[in-house]
Amino acid sequence: MKLLRDVHQEFLTGAYQYVLPETVLLGTACVLFVLAITVPRRAVAVGVGLLGVAGAAALAALVGVESLRGVLGWQELSLFWGTVEGTPYYPRALSPFDPTGPAAFVRWVALASAALFTLLAYAETRDDNACEYVACLLVAAAGTSLVGRANDLVTLFLSLEMLSIPTYVLLYLPVRSRDGQESAVKYFVLSILSSAVMLFGFSYLYGLTGTTNLGAIVDTLNDAHKSQVGPMALVAIVLVIAGLGFRLTLVPFHFYAPDVYEGGPTGVVAQLAFIPKVAGFIALARVLGMLYPPLDQLPFDASGTLIPMTLWVLAAVTMTFGNAFALLQTNLKRLLAYSGIAHAGYMLIGFVVASTLPDVVNGTVPSQVGLDSVLFYLVTYGLMTVGSFAVLVHLAGGEHPVETVDDLAGLAKTHPWAAGALAVCLFSLLGLPLSAGFAGKLLLFVGAFDAPTTGSLKTMARILAVVAVVNSAIGAVYYLRLVGVMTLRSPLKVAETSRGNVALVVALICAAATVAVGVYPKPLADAARAAIPLRDVGR
Amino acid sequence: MDTFQLIPPALVLAAVGVPLLAALLVALLGARLAGLLAAAQLVVTTLLVVFTLGAVNVRGGERGPHREGLRGSAAMTFEPNFVPGDPTLANNEFAQTHGTTWGLLSLGPVPGPGVPAPEVQFFLGVDGLNVWLVALTSVMTLVAVLISLGRVRERPAAYFAWLFALQAAVTGAFLSFDIVLFYVFFELTLVPAFFLIGNWGPGRGRRDAAKLFFLYTLFGSLFTLVGLVGVVLANPTPLHPTPPPPTARDPKPTARPHYRAFTDPAGELRLPTEGPLTYSIPQLMRNASAWGNVRGYRARVAADRLAEADAGLAAANARLAAGPATPDLSLQAAAEKAQSLAAAEAATAIAEVTRGRRLQVWLFVLLVAGFAVKTPIVPFHTWLPTTYSEAPIAVTMLLAAVLSKLGTYGILRVVVPLVPDAATAYGLEVLGVLGAIGVVYGAFCAFGQRNLRLLAAYSSVSHLGLLVMALFSLNTEGLTGASLHMVNHGLATGAMFALLGFLEARHGTMDMSQYGGLIGRYPGFAFLFVLVCLANVGLPFLNNFVSEMLILAGLFDPSVVSPLGYGLAVAGASGIFLSAWYTFTMLRRVLFGPPIAPPLREGVTPAMALPEALGYLIPAALCVVLGLYPQPVLDSVKGDVAVVAQQADLARMRQGLPPSTRLHLPPESPTTDDAPPPGRGGPGAARW
Repeated sequence: MKLLRDVHQEFLTGAYQYVLPETVLLGTACVLFVLAITVPRRAVAVGVGLLGVAGAAALAALVGVESLRGVLGWQELSLFWGTVEGTPYYPRALSPFDPTGPAAFVRWVALASAALFTLLAYAETRDDNACEYVACLLVAAAGTSLVGRANDLVTLFLSLEMLSIPTYVLLYLPVRSRDGQESAVKYFVLSILSSAVMLFGFSYLYGLTGTTNLGAIVDTLNDAHKSQVGPMALVAIVLVIAGLGFRLTLVPFHFYAPDVYEGGPTGVVAQLAFIPKVAGFIALARVLGMLYPPLDQLPFDASGTLIPMTLWVLAAVTMTFGNAFALLQTNLKRLLAYSGIAHAGYMLIGFVVASTLPDVVNGTVPSQVGLDSVLFYLVTYGLMTVGSFAVLVHLAGGEHPVETVDDLAGLAKTHPWAAGALAVCLFSLLGLPLSAGFAGKLLLFVGAFDAPTTGSLKTMARILAVVAVVNSAIGAVYYLRLVGVMTLRSPLKVAETSRGNVALVVALICAAATVAVGVYPKPLADAARAAIPLRDVGR
Repeated sequence: MDTFQLIPPALVLAAVGVPLLAALLVALLGARLAGLLAAAQLVVTTLLVVFTLGAVNVRGGERGPHREGLRGSAAMTFEPNFVPGDPTLANNEFAQTHGTTWGLLSLGPVPGPGVPAPEVQFFLGVDGLNVWLVALTSVMTLVAVLISLGRVRERPAAYFAWLFALQAAVTGAFLSFDIVLFYVFFELTLVPAFFLIGNWGPGRGRRDAAKLFFLYTLFGSLFTLVGLVGVVLANPTPLHPTPPPPTARDPKPTARPHYRAFTDPAGELRLPTEGPLTYSIPQLMRNASAWGNVRGYRARVAADRLAEADAGLAAANARLAAGPATPDLSLQAAAEKAQSLAAAEAATAIAEVTRGRRLQVWLFVLLVAGFAVKTPIVPFHTWLPTTYSEAPIAVTMLLAAVLSKLGTYGILRVVVPLVPDAATAYGLEVLGVLGAIGVVYGAFCAFGQRNLRLLAAYSSVSHLGLLVMALFSLNTEGLTGASLHMVNHGLATGAMFALLGFLEARHGTMDMSQYGGLIGRYPGFAFLFVLVCLANVGLPFLNNFVSEMLILAGLFDPSVVSPLGYGLAVAGASGIFLSAWYTFTMLRRVLFGPPIAPPLREGVTPAMALPEALGYLIPAALCVVLGLYPQPVLDSVKGDVAVVAQQADLARMRQGLPPSTRLHLPPESPTTDDAPPPGRGGPGAARW
C-alpha cells in the first residue's frame, strides 16, 4: 500500500495532468504575444486564438469525455481516483486540483465563452492591439477554467489572479480615452484591494488548519466546528466572501461595476460581466464547503443558520438594489451593470438553498441542492448578457456609438437583426417563457421553494423566492422599456455598424442558444445536475 | 403500428404547429397567404373537434358521475385524449394512458436511486373543456385576419405573423395538461400582444397601452407562477406506505401510488407517504383530492378513537370508584395514557387539516391573481379600457374573445381542480361576489360610454362577471353553462368588435355621438349588428341565451339553499337586463334617428368587400347555430364538467357541507378495507 506521503507527492508532481487544456490556452497566448511583434494582424490574432481554443477543446474532450476514453488510455477522473486506489486516503483532501464535480462543466463554459469573446475581439480591436487582446483573453479563460478545479488555496488564488490581471490590460488596451483609463484604474485598484482582502482571509484559513488544501481545510473545520464556530474562522470567511463579492458584484461590493462598465470597452465589459461571476461563484461554493461531503455540516457554521442567513441577506439586498437602481439608468451599459448585479442576487438563491442543511432520508439526499441551478443560470446569464453586449459592440462602430436608451429608438427598423437578437436577450433577462432565462429562474425558484430542509429556514427560503419574483416584476419594467424603445419608437438617428458583422454573428449565436435552451432545457439542466455530485451522507 | 391512431395526436401537434409555421411563412413570403393559413388552421381544428367528439362521446357513459371518487382509490380526473408522446401509441395498444413521455426539463428532487426525477413534460391533449376553445381561437383568428386584410397598410406581413404567433400561444395554453407548459404558453401570449398593440394601434397612446398591458398582466401572472410551484410542491403523488412484495422480475419494487389512508388489519392507521412531484394537471388533481381525503380521514379516525378512549377512561374511573378497597390502578393509568395519546393524535390530525386548508387558501389567492388580471375580474380590470381602445380593432377583438378566456379557462382547469377546498370555501364568497360587482359595474360603465369600443369593452367585462360567478357555482349546471358561455361570449363579443371595426375602417372614429341613422346607409351592416347585439343581450334562439340560462340555473341551485347563490343569481339576471338597456340605447343612437356620419376616410369604399363580409358573417352565423343547437357542445363537456364538479363535491364533503350536484353519492363512511393499489392509475402511474 502506498504511503500518504507518496500519494501526496504523486498528486503534486502529476498536477499538470489535470490542467492540460488550460496549458494549451496559455501556450497559444504566448504564441500570440510573439505574433504581436512579428505579425500584428487582426485576422491572424483571431484565427490563432480560435485555433488555440479548438485545440484546448479537443484535449478537454480527450481527457474528459467518457466515450473517448480509449484514445489516450487515461482520463482525468480515472487518474484522480486511480492514484488513491487501494489506499484509505481521500483524494480531494490531497490533490491541488479536483477534476470531479463542476470542474468539467466550468471548463466547457470557459472554452465556449473564450471562443465567443475571441470572435467579439475581431470587432473590438485594431491590427495593432489584436494579438495582445486575444492573448489576454485566452489567459483569462484559462484562469476561469482553473478556478473550477482549484482545490488548494494557492491554486485558487493564482487562478483568480490569472483571471484578473489580463482584465486590467484588456480594459486599457482598446480604448485610450479618459473614461477608459478611469475605468481601468478604478477596476485595477479595487480588484487589487479585493484580492488582498481575500488573501488575508486565506491566511487565516491556513493559520487555523495548517494546510492549504481546501478539502483538508473543510474537513478540519467540520471536525472543529461540531458545536461551536471559532471566531477566527468567521473572520476568515467574512473576508473571503468580501473578496469574492467584488467579483460577483454583490451589494455592497458592487460600487465599481456601473462606472467600469460605462467607461470600459464594450467587448471587455461583456467579458467582465460574465467570466468573474463564473469564477467567483465556483470559488465561493468550494470555500464554503458545498462541494465536499459531508452534508450534515457546514465548515463555518455550527448552528446551520449563520451562513444561510448571511447569504439570504446578501441575495435579497443584491437583487433588490440592482433592480431598483437599474430602473433609474439611461446609459445602456450602466443599466446592464445593475441588471448583472440583480442577476447575481438571483444566483445567490441557489447558494442559500445549498447551504441549508437538508433532512436526510434513507441515507441519501435530494440532488437538487441549489448549486446545479446556479450552474444552469450562469450559462443562461452568460448567453443573454454577452448577447446584449455583443449587440452594443455591433452598434458602436461610428463616431456616436449607441450608448443611451434613446439611442436605441427605432432599432427594429434600422437594424432588424440586431434588434431581434437584443430583444430575445432582453426577454430572456426578463424571464419570459421559452427563453433560457425562464428555465433558469424556474430552477432557482423551485429550488428555493423546495429547499430540502424543515423549519424556519424553509420558510425563509420561500420568502426569498417571493422576493425574487417581485424583483422579476420590477426587472420587467426596465427590460420592457428597452424593447419598447427599440421596436415601437421611430428612429432618431441610424447607428453606424462600420465594424462589420462579426459582433452581430456573436449576438445571434447567443440569442439562438438562449431560445434553444429555453425551448428544450433538459440537456443543459441534466449536465448541470451531473456536475453537482449527489452528496451521500458520510464519505 | 396503426397509422390511423397517429392522426389525432398529429392534429394536436398541428393545432400548435400550424400557426407557428403560418407566422414564419407570412413573415417570409408576405401577407397574401394569411387568409389561406388561417383557413388551414381552421380545418385542422375542425378535424380535431370531430375526432374529440367521437372520443368523448364513446366514453361518455363510462365517465358519468360514479362512486369511484369516494369509495375507490382515486378521484376522477381529466383524461386528455390524443396525447402526442403517449407510450401506448408506439405499442399499438388500444387503451390510452392519457399521459406522455416527452420530457422537457427535470425539476425537483430525485425520489430515490434509479428513479427518474420528476419532469416538466410537453403534455398536450384535448378533452371536452378545451376543444371548443381551440376551435373558437381558430375561428376568431380567421375573423381577425379577414377583417385586417387590406386595412393594415404598415408592414402587414409582420402584423399577420404576430397574429399567428398569438394564436399559437393561446392554442398551446388551451391544450396544455402540464402545469408549467400551461404557464409558458399563458405568458407567451404577452409578447405578440405587446408588439401588435404597440406597433399597429391606431392612437398615440398605443406604446403606453402596450407596456401597461404587458407589465400589469406579467405582474399578476408571476404570482400565479408562485402559486403553481406551490401547488406542485403541496401535492406530491401519494404512495402506498409499504412497497409491494418483491417478485422475480422486480426484486426491489418501489411503492406504488395509493390515493387514500386506510386502517390495516392490526387496526393501525396507515397514511400514504409523499412520493415524487408531478407537473401533470390530471395527476395533480387526483393528488390534491387524495391528500385532502387522507387528512380528513385521519382526523375522523382520530376523533373516533378519542371518543373511544374517553369512554374507556370514564369506564375505568367508574370501576375505580365502585371497585374493591384495594383498587387496581394500572388499568386506570393505561386508560389515561391511551386517552392522552388519542387526544394528541386528534390534535395533530386537526392541525394538519387546518394547515392544509390554510395552505390552499394562500395558493388560491396566488393562482387567482394572474387569472383575475387576465380575465379581468373587476378590481383588476384597470388595464382594460386603455388596452382595448388603443389596440388595433382585430387585436381588441382577439383580446376580448379569446385571451380573456385564458383567465376563465385557467380557473376552470387549474384553480378549481387543484385547490378545491379553498375554491369551494371561498370561491363564491369572494370571486363570485367580485363577479357580481363586475356584472353591475360593467353594465353601468358601458351605459356611460360615449366611445363604442369602450362600450363593447365594458359590456364584455359585465358578461365575464357572469362567467366568473358560474365558474364558482361549482355544480354541473353552472360549470356546463360556464364552459358554453366561454365559447358564446367569444363569438358574440368578438363579432361585436369585428363589426365596430367596420365603422372604424370607414370613418376613423368610435365616438357614438358622431353616428346616427346608419341603417339606411349600411343596411347589411345594420342587420348583422342588430343580430350580434341581440345575441349579446341573450335573446332566445341566440347563443348567449342558452348559456346564461344554464348559469342562472347553476346559481339558483335548489339542492343547496344558499342566500348568497340567490343573491348572485339576482345580480346576474339584473346584469342581463342592464345589458339590454345599454345595448338598445346604443343601437337606437347609432342605427336610427337622423342619418349622420363622419366623412369617409380617403381611399375607402363604403361597400363591404367579400373577405370582410365573411369575417362578420362567420361569427354571426355561429351565434345563431349555437343558439339553435348547442347540444354537441353540452354533450362533449358533460364528462369533464362532472369531473370538476365531483372534485368540488369531495371538497365540500370534507368541509362537512352537503354536495351540491345530484350525484347520488353514497352516505359518507370511512372506508376501512385495504383495496389493492389501482392497476391503471392515470397518466402519472404510467411512468411507474
